[in-house]
Amino acid sequence: MSIRYIIPSVTLLISVIYLILTFNLPESNVGNPTAAMNYPLLIGFALLGMSIIYLFSEFKNRKEPFKAFEVFKDKQLTTHVIVVLLLSLAYTFLFERIGFLFSTLLFLTGLLFLINGRRKWLTNIIVAVLFSVLSWYAFSELLSVSLP
Amino acid sequence: MGVDWNSFFEGFMTALSFQNLLFIFLGGLLGTIVGMLPGLGPATAVAVLIPITFGMDSTSALILLGAIYYGAMYGGSRSSILLNTPGDGSAIAATFDGYPMTRKGQAGQALTLATLASLIGGTVAIAGFVFLANPLASFALQFGPAEYFFLLIFTLSAVVSLSKGNMIKGFVSMLLGLIVTTIGVDSQSGVYRFTFGNPHLSEGIDFLVVIIGVYAVGEVLYNILVIKDENQQMKEDVGNSWITKEQWSRSFWPMIRQAPIGFLVGILPGAGGSIASMISYTTEQQVSKKGEEFGKGAPEGLASPESSNNAASVGAFIPLLTMGIPGSGTTAVILGALIMLGLQPGPMLFQNQPEVAWTFINSLFIGNIVLVIINILLIGLLVRILKTPPQILYPIILVLAFIGTYTLGYSIIDFFILMIFGVIGLLMKILNIPVAPLILAVIIGNMMEQNFRMAFVSHDGFLQMLTASPISILFAVLTVASVFLPALFSRLSKGRTES
Repeated sequence: MSIRYIIPSVTLLISVIYLILTFNLPESNVGNPTAAMNYPLLIGFALLGMSIIYLFSEFKNRKEPFKAFEVFKDKQLTTHVIVVLLLSLAYTFLFERIGFLFSTLLFLTGLLFLINGRRKWLTNIIVAVLFSVLSWYAFSELLSVSLP
Repeated sequence: MGVDWNSFFEGFMTALSFQNLLFIFLGGLLGTIVGMLPGLGPATAVAVLIPITFGMDSTSALILLGAIYYGAMYGGSRSSILLNTPGDGSAIAATFDGYPMTRKGQAGQALTLATLASLIGGTVAIAGFVFLANPLASFALQFGPAEYFFLLIFTLSAVVSLSKGNMIKGFVSMLLGLIVTTIGVDSQSGVYRFTFGNPHLSEGIDFLVVIIGVYAVGEVLYNILVIKDENQQMKEDVGNSWITKEQWSRSFWPMIRQAPIGFLVGILPGAGGSIASMISYTTEQQVSKKGEEFGKGAPEGLASPESSNNAASVGAFIPLLTMGIPGSGTTAVILGALIMLGLQPGPMLFQNQPEVAWTFINSLFIGNIVLVIINILLIGLLVRILKTPPQILYPIILVLAFIGTYTLGYSIIDFFILMIFGVIGLLMKILNIPVAPLILAVIIGNMMEQNFRMAFVSHDGFLQMLTASPISILFAVLTVASVFLPALFSRLSKGRTES
């Protein structure tokens, strides 16, 4: 299967799963028993129809080159995006465990070393420390936001 | 209903208070900084800076958000002029003559001219706003659930048909957004929909998390993917900022005449600053006696789209504040922020809290003047900020996105949702799927379902709902037209070029 059919196939799959889940919604005890179901059904069928049209439109354009995913050709930058997502995941797990200040400091340092490069280590550390402390102070002290 | 002058002047005085002036200045400066970053526009600026409004009273928060939005519009044109990289779509036209002016050594003058054009465009549009707001709000008071439902459908279809990319992708984007809004407990029947037993999801997915994910995280991920390690060829000295008599006389009338055009385009759902500035640029090129100089650094080629663009950004507030209907992704973000602040824009805002509405409108006017001061006096500082490598600023924006998300619901489950929508935003950008329909749908989806269900029950069926009033029929006709007319026009123009 050509790469150009991936996205319309995914939206088609989403619409089918969504419709199955909608048909399995519990009936309401108040008023019309299917009231909570009607609107999602409408959306589900509309997405199903649109995904089929999307698939056909990609089929119609099959002779044109599909260049969208060429942006991932630069392996180093693609790895950067994946590492950013992994660092975000690590931040999510650490945020409430070690607290806002230290997790943010680690996350930002990691991001800066990755994106800004290791050679600018001093700038990275200064920016990470300053931003983490200032944002902690601004949110928890000035804006009275409760942070872990 | 005419202009409510009492509330207008009261609003003016409130907007002029020291505290609110400070917020206008702060919002304008922060918005300008985020807006200057390539690829990041007003929607991202507002989305990522929403948390700083926490703890404020709703009027001041609204003023601050308005100033951020406005500042980001100014910021977008700074990077267009100095670096040839527009912050967002509405700043593209500023590159056509703004960057050639920079290359001719007139960067300072180009920046001043763009600033003055924005001031004039914004001021003309605010005058239009003052006279249109109350009549439109009174008109919207006649709307029942059926009228609102068809108006919302029209807004969505207009945004889909006018957004970048093709219409099919736009509809898919919109429907995915509507699906997101059906997650959670159904407020009318109490049925749990698509929550998979997760208590956090029973309240639904916070639309602000979706917005921050798609706009801020998605844009940052995309920019990391396409980042170029090149030293920006920009001098710190922008040269003389005083514009010449000739530049002023060539630009003055174009600024004045393009402002109403921008304002009217801004009111239309789906149109916005990108279309307004393009229309103004091309019409001005056609009517100008020096049309051949456009694209080579003609001052009116920069002034006219800038004036129109700012007028459109004011015009976009009309449907938002008087009817509660956002006409674009950016105004949808602001609507989301307003709802979070406990304000419900719409005709009742002008009836129940006219002071809030008028203070905000006046703050836009004052904000314009403050932004002129920021952009002319602090130009050295702004240029220095623009020289800060994006490699440092993007990580900071990413961290701000996470902090903002946490402050919305104090739950790290939202971090996962943020990342999922960040990746979705990245893919949409790569595949050229328009984001605005998704954002708009996420914000107005619930409103649409509730109005649909109320209208369906009270009119006893869809056909009766449609024929309930001429307003419903009008919006239904406009919806059909917005879907089919663009396709018809493109067929016709294709046929003409072939023949």
